[in-house]
Amino acid sequence: MKQLYILAAMLLVSVSAAAQDGRSLYNKYSDNANVEAVYISPAMFRLIGKIPDMEVEDGSVNLGPIIKSLSGLYILSIKEDRIAEELADDVNRFIKKGQYELLMEAKDNGEVMRMYTVGDDFVVNSFVMLARQGDEVDFICLDGTMPRDQLEALIAEATKN
Amino acid sequence: MKTIDEITRLSAEDLERVSLDESIPVPEELSGKVREAVTRADEAAARTHRLRWTLPATGIAAAVAILVTIGLTRNPEPKDTFDDPYLAYAEVEKVFSRISGAVAYGAEKVNESEQTLEKYAYWK
Repeated sequence: MKQLYILAAMLLVSVSAAAQDGRSLYNKYSDNANVEAVYISPAMFRLIGKIPDMEVEDGSVNLGPIIKSLSGLYILSIKEDRIAEELADDVNRFIKKGQYELLMEAKDNGEVMRMYTVGDDFVVNSFVMLARQGDEVDFICLDGTMPRDQLEALIAEATKN
Repeated sequence: MKTIDEITRLSAEDLERVSLDESIPVPEELSGKVREAVTRADEAAARTHRLRWTLPATGIAAAVAILVTIGLTRNPEPKDTFDDPYLAYAEVEKVFSRISGAVAYGAEKVNESEQTLEKYAYWK
């Protein structure tokens, strides 16, 4: 009986943890005033994957395989200090709960940009970028099964330019 | 003939003695009735045992189902911003361009820091 209660508690924790994701943040903030929001669903990504001859070149990196591996994109751009602050706090909580790893951080004169990923050595299941500039906060969350080598090649290429 | 109350009050030794007394007539159908009663008692015990596990398990399953439903209704899938996959595709390109830009900005800061460190090392 005790084992059943432990199992139930674990299920409760996992259900509440699952609620902390890009979608819940998008749902919370996308309807606010002064918020620009973009969502691309898994179904739309499947349609994008069917676009013939998809050739996306950014430097020498082909974005095609990464785009095809995506299953969801959430973008929130907030220009109101109070809501921006709240979003930044929520993202930080979600990053901690989701066990994301910091990929990169840059700070300059109060501007902060951080990138996080979660996944394994070969696949990135989620990528988050949080950028803060004055009273503006940008949040980008990409979900999917992105090949880590492709994503790193993209980042390496960007650092060369 | 003894009443049930009288029988239940008998000690184990008395019961054993009575059972061994062959002078007491035993109805022919008694053996079958006893076997039937034991089978019924076993079945009832098995049902109780099953219920003891089934009830909490059903309760937990119901609670999980309710929580999942609440989670899904509180966190529904948002509406797609684009109806046209080409526009969605263009937005994804824009996002990657922003990410690349941010990475390049970070790399630029690293370069600036390296240059400052080199200058410092030179003047020292």
